[in-house]
Amino acid sequence: MTLLTVENLYSGYGKVDVLFGISLSISAGKSLGIVGPNGVGKSTLLKTIAGEITPKSGSISLLGETISGRKPEDIVRMGLSLVPEGRQIFSGLSVTENLMLGLTGRKDKASSKVALDQIRELFPVLNSHATHQAGMLSGGQQQQLAIARALLSNPKVLLLDEPSLGLAPTVIIDVFEKLKEIIANKTAVIIVEQRAHLVTTFADETVVIRDGQIQASLTPSDAKNEEMLRKAYFGTGS
Amino acid sequence: MQPLLDAFSLGGTYALAALGLGLVFGVLKLVNFAHAELITISAYIMVITNDLPLVISFILAAFTATVLAIITELAVYRRLRGTGPAIMLIASFGLSVGLQKSYELIFGALPRSAAVAPWMTGSVEIAGLNVTISSLVTVALTVLILLAMGYLVDFTTLGLQLRAASSDFKTARLLGVRSNRLITSSFAISGLLAAFVGFIIVVENPQVEPMFGLNITILALVGIVIGGISSLRGCALGGFIVGFILSILNTFLGNARVYAYSYLFLAVVIILLVRPGGILSKQNEMERV
Repeated sequence: MTLLTVENLYSGYGKVDVLFGISLSISAGKSLGIVGPNGVGKSTLLKTIAGEITPKSGSISLLGETISGRKPEDIVRMGLSLVPEGRQIFSGLSVTENLMLGLTGRKDKASSKVALDQIRELFPVLNSHATHQAGMLSGGQQQQLAIARALLSNPKVLLLDEPSLGLAPTVIIDVFEKLKEIIANKTAVIIVEQRAHLVTTFADETVVIRDGQIQASLTPSDAKNEEMLRKAYFGTGS
Repeated sequence: MQPLLDAFSLGGTYALAALGLGLVFGVLKLVNFAHAELITISAYIMVITNDLPLVISFILAAFTATVLAIITELAVYRRLRGTGPAIMLIASFGLSVGLQKSYELIFGALPRSAAVAPWMTGSVEIAGLNVTISSLVTVALTVLILLAMGYLVDFTTLGLQLRAASSDFKTARLLGVRSNRLITSSFAISGLLAAFVGFIIVVENPQVEPMFGLNITILALVGIVIGGISSLRGCALGGFIVGFILSILNTFLGNARVYAYSYLFLAVVIILLVRPGGILSKQNEMERV
C-alpha cells in the first residue's frame, strides 16, 4: 500500500528554485534512500514534504490525502514525522521531556503511556538517562533520542535527514539497526544521506538527486558497483 | 522592615512585568512594547469600576487586558509573522503608540483617578513594626503568581511546549506543537500578568494616564536583559533585581534619589560586564558537542 506520493514537486526558498519536478513514492514497511552531493536539494525535499517549506507546485499526498501546503504541526498529526538534520533535540530539556514533546503530535493520546514504554524498550539507552539533560547525551544517544521522539507521534512515514551526521562508524551501525526494527514494524522510512554506499546498501531503493532532479535510481545490489555509484552520484565515472 | 518589604514588593511587581514580556519574547522573539498598554488598560478599568467589589473590578480588568493582548496578536503580530524581527519590533512600537493615543481619545489626556482598594493603603503592626498592607498584599500576591507560573512552566504540557518553542520553535512545530495556539496562549498569559501589575501599581498610584504602564515596562525590559532574555526564570529574576535595587535606592538616597536611575544603570552595566548574556542566560547551559 502506497503511503506517501510526491508528484512533480517544485520547491525552493523565495525566488530561488531548488527542486524541479521531483516524483517519488513509498509503501508501508519499505525504505527509500536519497543521496546526492551537497546543496542539490535533499534536505529541501524533506522539509517540503514535512511542511516546513511550502511547495511552488506539484503535489504531496499521505494516505491519499493532500498534505502539500499544510502546516508541519498538522502533517505530523496525519502520520508523517521528520527527524531534522543535526538532530535538533532540546538540549536544555531532560530526555523524558524531549520524549513527552514527541507525544504532542500523537492523535491517539490514550495510548501514550504504552507508546512511551515501547519506545523505552526499543531504545533502552534512553531509559538510563531519563532525567539527564538531553544536551549531555553523546551524539549517538542524541540521534536515538531524536528518532525515538519522532516515533512517539506514531508516524506511518518517518523522514530522517542525515542520521549518520557526526557519528562514529560503530554508532552509525547501531542507529541503522534501530531503523531496521522500525521498518519491520511497517513504518515507511525515507533517509537522506551523504554516505551513498551506506544508504544504498541499506534501503530497498535509493534515488540520486542532482541539480534538483532525480537522476538515477539504485538498488542494494548496485552498492557493490563503485563505478556505477560514482557515476550516479557525480554524473561522471571518472 | 518596611523598606525591605517595599523592595520585595517593587521587585515582585517588576518580576511579573518582566515575566509577561519574557513569555512573548520566548515564543515570538519579539520585545512587545505594547505590553505597557496592557498594564495601562487594566489600571484604567480598575479606576473606572472602583465602585464595584474589588474582585469583580479586577476580573473585568484582567479580562480586558487578556482580550486586548489576544487581539493585538491576532490583528497585528500574526499577520506580520515571518516578515522579520525589525518589522515586528517597529509594529510593536506602532501598536504601543496607537493604543496610547486611543486611550487619550477614550479616557482623555488628563489622569483619571479613584482610590482602588483604599483599605490597602493602611498599615498593620507585625512584631511591633508598622508595615503597609499594600506591601504585604503585593509580596503575597507576587509570590503566589510566581509559584503558579513556575508550576505552569515546569509541570504542565503548555509549559513544556513554551520551553521547547522558546528554544527552537521550528522543531517544536515538527513535533506537533500548534504554533498559533501556543503564541496566542502566551499573549493571553502575558495580558493576565499585565493586569496583576496594573492592579498592584494603581493601588499605590491611582492616577492613571495613557502612558501609565510605560515606565515599568521599560525598566522590566532592562530586567529581562540582565536576567537572561532566553530564560523565563532569568526574566523574572532580572525584573525582581531592577525593582529591588530601585526601591532600595529610592529609600536610602534621600535627597539624592534623583540619581537613583544612574545608580541602577551602573549596577546593570556591572552585571552585564560579568554576565554578558544575563544572569541565567542559556549560554551557560552545559551542552555536549
